[in-house]
Amino acid sequence: MANEHFLDQYVHRENTWDEMYDSKNIRQQYSHVFSMLKNLDVDSMSNRHRLAGELFLNQGITFTVYNNNEGIERVFPFDIIPRIITGSEWAEIEKGIIQRLKALNLFLKDIYSNQQILHDGIVPVDLIASCPHYTREVYGIKVPYDIYVHISGIDLIRGSDGKFYVLEDNLRTPSGVSYMLENRDVTKRIFPDILSTSNVRSVTHYPTLLHEVLLDLVSSQVSDPYIVILTPGIFNSAYYEHTFLAKQMGVDLVESRDLVVDNHKVYTKTTKGLKQVNVIYRRVDDEFLDPLVFKQDSLLGVPGLLSTYRKGNVAIVNAVGNGVADDKAVYTFVPEMIKYYLNEEPILNNIPTYQLSDPDALKYALSNIENLVIKNTNQSGGYGMIMGNTISEREWLKAKSEIERNPRNYVAQPIIQLSTVPCFINGKIQPRHVDLRPYALYGPQGIKLVPGGLTRVALSEGSLVVNSSQGGGSKDTWIID
Amino acid sequence: MERVEDMLRVARTHYIYSLDKNINSGTWKPILQVYTDLSEDKTELFENDTYAALHYLLLDANNDNSAKNIIQKARENARGVQDHITREVWEEINSIYHLINRPFVKLKLASADALEIIDLFLKHSMIYVGVAEVTMQRGTAWNVMRLGKFVERSIETLILTDKQCELHAYDLGKERDITNWRFLLLSLAGYEAYLKSYRSTKHNQQILQQVIFNPDFPHSILYSLNQIDRSLAILIKENSNPEVPELVRTFGRIQSRIQFMDPGSVVHIDIKSFFAELKRDLLDFNAKLKLLFFSY
Repeated sequence: MANEHFLDQYVHRENTWDEMYDSKNIRQQYSHVFSMLKNLDVDSMSNRHRLAGELFLNQGITFTVYNNNEGIERVFPFDIIPRIITGSEWAEIEKGIIQRLKALNLFLKDIYSNQQILHDGIVPVDLIASCPHYTREVYGIKVPYDIYVHISGIDLIRGSDGKFYVLEDNLRTPSGVSYMLENRDVTKRIFPDILSTSNVRSVTHYPTLLHEVLLDLVSSQVSDPYIVILTPGIFNSAYYEHTFLAKQMGVDLVESRDLVVDNHKVYTKTTKGLKQVNVIYRRVDDEFLDPLVFKQDSLLGVPGLLSTYRKGNVAIVNAVGNGVADDKAVYTFVPEMIKYYLNEEPILNNIPTYQLSDPDALKYALSNIENLVIKNTNQSGGYGMIMGNTISEREWLKAKSEIERNPRNYVAQPIIQLSTVPCFINGKIQPRHVDLRPYALYGPQGIKLVPGGLTRVALSEGSLVVNSSQGGGSKDTWIID
Repeated sequence: MERVEDMLRVARTHYIYSLDKNINSGTWKPILQVYTDLSEDKTELFENDTYAALHYLLLDANNDNSAKNIIQKARENARGVQDHITREVWEEINSIYHLINRPFVKLKLASADALEIIDLFLKHSMIYVGVAEVTMQRGTAWNVMRLGKFVERSIETLILTDKQCELHAYDLGKERDITNWRFLLLSLAGYEAYLKSYRSTKHNQQILQQVIFNPDFPHSILYSLNQIDRSLAILIKENSNPEVPELVRTFGRIQSRIQFMDPGSVVHIDIKSFFAELKRDLLDFNAKLKLLFFSY
């Protein structure tokens, strides 16, 4: 037993889909990696784990924790064993996401123009009217090529039946793509031999694709398009990603103070004078984007930006008002949208979701909380999430009264046992739950996905919460042929 | 030392590229052709064996152009001119020499940690540049070092660009995706600069413009020529050798050729012949330079 290889100590969970093991056997897609890892011992794995941490630290892929007035740089946890998905599984995911994005984009176009889907009773009017992310200020604005969802991250999970389900849509400013790319770069450093012999599809062209999408939004009459990334600034938790993408695309990274609107055009202040901006890839939320229209005290936005947008003098990526389509309550209706707009059956299914604004659903949820997760429709990043099987009695009483006071703000879903993957934690290989966020780019040339994505890992044993803000980590995701 | 740094950067770029599916065939053949004089048969032996190729390029004592041999020669040179260079410069070169002879370098280079070794020496190459920059008096020795550095760099850029064009069959009329040029730009530390400075999708023309004519890109041929011009002017100022005018004329012809050439025309000319002539002229200039300053 003392000489047992660390891989042989792996015990996967009952009633959970394990990505590496099929009950007793190694799945085909993991067999090569498994045999290569068999050649390594715990010390070698620990060294690679340490090296990965150093690489993240040296590249500045960190966040700061403040303690006793001292800032401590921490790296986002990265597990060194890659998560592997087969090419055929990926083909299904790709088709499903493309289908879903087409429908969601048509929904956004519709909801900010004719609202036919409301007139036809497919989506309840009340649901949209009560949605805080429905942005009346952009009603009627014509966006370039009718594309609203240029950049998206659709969160998927794999259930115990092995099928992928959509957990939620992120259509506003999805983050994490830099981690997808950096995770691959780190894997190149720590497992070059395994990577090069595993037939893994490349993800490195993502910034090029993104740049092409942004360029394509500019009128062909503009000879030298000027694209910027608008960041809230260095204290934003995703600031590293903003700088990363700016560098990888060769575009300027600006803050609101660098931009000015004059005569319905947006300009960047440069040392050579004002320079007109054609496309803004904004990483600032809608409500902070223009203090003349939204939050009046916002210092992150640009006064007059929305009027420029309305005139068509600047393209804003993603479109303003997308939050209505990724609202957790509206999510329930996406399968209906797919049927309504595309006349197709959804390829990727939703997780069954109860709208707590429905009195019957509310009653069911309140009496079956131990089997449910309740999510606040207005929050993301794992905030406002109640795991019914772990919440204390006291916390539940408090949450319950809040839910009863405003049920529209909550949805309930059955607790799904997310699939598990092997992780190297504290010198042992252990199963941990994961989700998957593939990134899609929607431009005039169509919808493209880079073959991969961000696999988020719930690092605590048994935890189902994968969000980085809640202590989650990430893994490199390999799509292999 | 300039050649070592360039070679390391090329090896690093190719190594990382070779791990990505669908981007590169992974063969080391073009790199071996640029940096070694291996026969066709021997190139075939190494081209698909990453660790053998890396060993030959960086450590093989039988390869005159290996990083190890170049560092050894640089150390010998430095030892011979210790009175002209600073102690810090000497110590840095000496430490690199001892580092490359340590057993762990060979072991790691033959393992999955190869990139760690390439990065280690790349870092030391840059430290060497920084140490020289900070400590050296801007006198004769400094300008001689700069002359050598930029002659080497101009030739390296030229050879790598020529090789990339050769891989494109010298067909610059056919527009290519940026991914087809990324290897060259990364090898010349110019990928981010390119993305920042050039906006259109006419990559063929823009990339050649950057690597040949851009006076602000530190690895462009014109930038190197302008640096040579500065140091050469200082070195010949008080040199009455009768060979100086011919050296100046030779250099002036090369510099003028690049400086006054229409960058837009580069994709329409016979680029293969252009590179061949430029290389011949640069080597000729280099030979005259050696004759003037280092022959007795």
